[in-house]
Amino acid sequence: MGDADRFLIVGAGLFVLGAIGFVTRRNLILMILSAELMLHGVSLTLVTFGHLHATNEGQAFTIFTLTVAACEAGLALSLVLLLYRNSGSLDIQLWSELRESDMPAPAGGFPKEEPGTEPRVSPGYDGLPRLTPAGRVPTDPSRSSNASASTSVRT
Amino acid sequence: MMQWMTGHPVSVFGLILWAAGILWLMPGTKIAASRPRIPGLVMSTLGVLALCGSAGAGQSDLAASFLFWLFAVGALVSGVLMITATYPVYSALWFAVVTLCTCGLFVLRSAPFLAAATIIVYAGAVIVTFLFVIMLAQQSGAAGYDQTSRQGKMATISAFVLLGAIVMAVQTPAAAGSPVVAGDAVAGDAVAAAPAVSNPATVANTLSLKDEQHEVGNLKGLGRSLFGDYLYAVEMAGTLLLIACIGAIAIAPRREQGTL
Amino acid sequence: MSETTQQLILWLIPVAPLLSALITALAGPGALRYKSHLPCWTALAVSFVCSLILLFQILPSVSQPRTVASETTTSESAESVAIAPGVTAAVRPQVIAVGYEWFQVGTLNVRMDLRADSMTAIMLCMVTGVSLLVSMFGSGYMHHDPGYPRFFAAVSLFVFSMCMLVLAGSFLMLFVFWEAVGLCSYLLIGFWFQKPAAAAAAKKAFVVNRIGDFGLIIGIFLIWQTFGSLSFEEVFGGTALLNAVAETDPGRIQLICLCLFLGAMGKSAQFPLQVWLPDAMEGPTPVSALIHAATMVTAGVYLVARCTPLFVLAPGVQLFICATGAITAAIAALTALTQTDLKRVLAYSTVSQLGFMFMALGCGAAGPELVTAAVTAGMFHLFTHAYFKALLFLAAGSVMHAMGDVIDMRRFSGLKKALPITHWTFLAGAAALAGVPLLSGFWSKDDILAVIGEATHSAQYGTFFRVIQIVASITALLTAFYTFRAYFMTFWGEEKFPEEAGHHPHDASPVMAWPLGILAVCAVGIGLLTGPTHLFAGTLQRIQGLTAVETHGLHWGVMAVSSGIAIVGIGAAWFLYVLSPGIPASLAAGMKPLYLISNGKFFLDEIFQWIVVFPLRKLAALAVLFDRFVIDGIVDAVGMVPRALSVLPRQLHGGLVESYAGVMWVSVVAAVVVVLSLF
Repeated sequence: MGDADRFLIVGAGLFVLGAIGFVTRRNLILMILSAELMLHGVSLTLVTFGHLHATNEGQAFTIFTLTVAACEAGLALSLVLLLYRNSGSLDIQLWSELRESDMPAPAGGFPKEEPGTEPRVSPGYDGLPRLTPAGRVPTDPSRSSNASASTSVRT
Repeated sequence: MMQWMTGHPVSVFGLILWAAGILWLMPGTKIAASRPRIPGLVMSTLGVLALCGSAGAGQSDLAASFLFWLFAVGALVSGVLMITATYPVYSALWFAVVTLCTCGLFVLRSAPFLAAATIIVYAGAVIVTFLFVIMLAQQSGAAGYDQTSRQGKMATISAFVLLGAIVMAVQTPAAAGSPVVAGDAVAGDAVAAAPAVSNPATVANTLSLKDEQHEVGNLKGLGRSLFGDYLYAVEMAGTLLLIACIGAIAIAPRREQGTL
Repeated sequence: MSETTQQLILWLIPVAPLLSALITALAGPGALRYKSHLPCWTALAVSFVCSLILLFQILPSVSQPRTVASETTTSESAESVAIAPGVTAAVRPQVIAVGYEWFQVGTLNVRMDLRADSMTAIMLCMVTGVSLLVSMFGSGYMHHDPGYPRFFAAVSLFVFSMCMLVLAGSFLMLFVFWEAVGLCSYLLIGFWFQKPAAAAAAKKAFVVNRIGDFGLIIGIFLIWQTFGSLSFEEVFGGTALLNAVAETDPGRIQLICLCLFLGAMGKSAQFPLQVWLPDAMEGPTPVSALIHAATMVTAGVYLVARCTPLFVLAPGVQLFICATGAITAAIAALTALTQTDLKRVLAYSTVSQLGFMFMALGCGAAGPELVTAAVTAGMFHLFTHAYFKALLFLAAGSVMHAMGDVIDMRRFSGLKKALPITHWTFLAGAAALAGVPLLSGFWSKDDILAVIGEATHSAQYGTFFRVIQIVASITALLTAFYTFRAYFMTFWGEEKFPEEAGHHPHDASPVMAWPLGILAVCAVGIGLLTGPTHLFAGTLQRIQGLTAVETHGLHWGVMAVSSGIAIVGIGAAWFLYVLSPGIPASLAAGMKPLYLISNGKFFLDEIFQWIVVFPLRKLAALAVLFDRFVIDGIVDAVGMVPRALSVLPRQLHGGLVESYAGVMWVSVVAAVVVVLSLF
């Protein structure tokens, strides 16, 4: 019972390591892994406290933490895949659109040769209706929407 | 704070050594010839040993102590290697080691079911998925952005400030009446037998009172707790899993045919 | 007929066109397209039938119980009986359809109630009937237009607004729908908004009308201030209140009347605000017929007639009205002499006829006993004018349709063989406008001339009215002349088509011919039907402010004079444009300045350009400078402050996710450290 300190310190250490990884790494997947590492630290702390108080609450919480972590991992990986498909890279620095407009782009920028620079339209969408691009100036204002109908009536 | 620092020089020494090890191992902001990793590894290991050793060992037997040292040092050093690895695959593998070690610590804290569950979920599912993604996305090995890091000093120093604060809080004798870890914070003293339970008035949650029928660490007790006290939460967690599953399906696949 | 049915019928009159407008606007472009006229026709027919029921069924039926009730119960009605001594007690049937409370501000309680009396009913019949015919014509006229649904949506909306305008029970409601018809007019003048001229004309009409509306709203404010109410009932009903105000503060009544008349001047295109009406002919011709000849422009006349109880108390303003009407009539008639655009001739003739109406309304100044006759004459002319002027415009539209949208009279002539239906219907309208005996224009113009003639006997203003009489007579002569000038130039002479018309100009299709025929019958017969039989006057005189007077026979002398005037005018036109077509050109050359003045529309547009538009533009230029350098400068300076303050914090927003995470992390660490060291 008396050695709870050690476990608490290990838990805190894991948490802190995860935080360092999250902040420093540039790989999207490693960032998520670091977040999982932080969750390990929290789990260990919860279990330690549960053991200290001789209750099952800590373990129950940990199970919930585990559940949420699994959900988070699944969704995060899906999003990472999506980002990867759009940029062709796992580098987090490519996603810096939120910066102030007059701030320089982070080193590297968007890789020009990667296929992700163009707004992507999957080739499978060809058969589906597609919005016409906005801003087109109508050529003949006198027949806007029902030009075909008016010609048919005129004849 | 100064009092704690002077009172626990080993802890402070461990913290600093560990931080220095991480900084040594951390990739720089530019791709450069990598340093030899052994000194950083040694520094980190020594720091971890010093930090954990400065905490009280309590009344544990030799086997438990050995296992604790094994798992604790394994978890923390593997964590250091994970966050500093330049190959994402190595990172994922080190993460698996961290998970295994953490599960070992769970067993030591009388949570065998949790250990098993964590191994199944993480090592069995999560890490494998991560590895799949890494293999899919980065077949060419380490990319440039994996060999560099940003704001490593700031992150490491602030993180160790936090760790130091936590260690200090753990090792500082709590003031009288402080409910949470009263007694236990006085490391290694004789107040060993369930200090919180000895004073029920200090415990806010009656559920955390020791119940003779709920044996701690017992799968039966955990099951009673989950499906008795937390039944609704369990159901909601299940629903959450389902929703996350649907969400992942909706987000991830390439919908060539426009399905979903 | 039960109370509920009456209310339902009353509400149906405006609501049917509103529904049609909504349906056409929502479903028109997508679903209805070239069937968009159907909801409009249906709704207008429903409105027309309901208006007829209102006029012939409901109003006569409510008159009887009301009189009984008025003598026994309400003191207000007793007063109204008392003010007309010696004359048969006025029977004032009116129907009020209860609506809802629009809003209440302080003591001002504005209700959306419909109020119908005989003047309203007559106006409603005229508005809905003409609208129905015009919309039928319009479906033929506009059949090729891409904006077909828009046209019918706007026309329906206009009819709704116009019905609500005449059904309004309070000044505020009247003002709201006064603006609404102005809006519809704007939309329809600018119907072909791709055409710069049409867009400019719509803008001009809107802006010039704002000047008049400014006066109207000031007048309404004054009424509210003076009488504490905006409802017609309460303002006109309490004769004691009116008389008391007139005694204590006659200047205020004068001011109110002047302001109201300013509104009427704008809407009814009276000098000097008439400049917008000829330009409004840029809109489609059915619109010109409906809005700018028959209905909306007469709203000003309606307003003045409706407010007769007020105007009676301000004879000075009535003289002003009379003089304005005379000036307008004369100027417009002189301008119309030399215009070569068929629609513009008709537009100036509309302005001129509106001037006639105001002349008649102003004759009330000569004495209280003349007020009823004056209002009756004005409203009667409004009524007949609606039919024959709508007819003339539609016939002009038919000409335009056949001639490939060419409307310049110099480019076609001798159309009477090619377009027989148009020819005969135009002739009917022109004869009615010129005042050929027994046609409707004859009776109403005769009424006006008779009223002016009687006003010359006034002791106080006799001389004034003698001048008016001369002006009116000359204007009537000019009217006959220019109307038939247009007729002869268009339909007589050698047959000539512009090349836009193609080889075989086709006459009106049935959907256009039928409205023309019906309107021609009305133009010919409706005056004879309602004028000398005293049907119109008898119906109209049952409204507030008028007293029923006994028939004073026919004015044989005036009739003889006006017949003579019409025949002389027509003869002169025939002589100049059929017998010896060379004379007009030599006349124009001989009197070049006069010709230029007339052809140049008295240079009113240019005068406005220099007096109003130019200084305003300069002022606007100054304002732009002020705005750019002072206002914008201050705003920009304020905007600089946060920018300057944010120079350092902005560095944190580099867009790097790690830096955001790092900032968050350091903050969390700081928070935890603070918490741990404090507790």
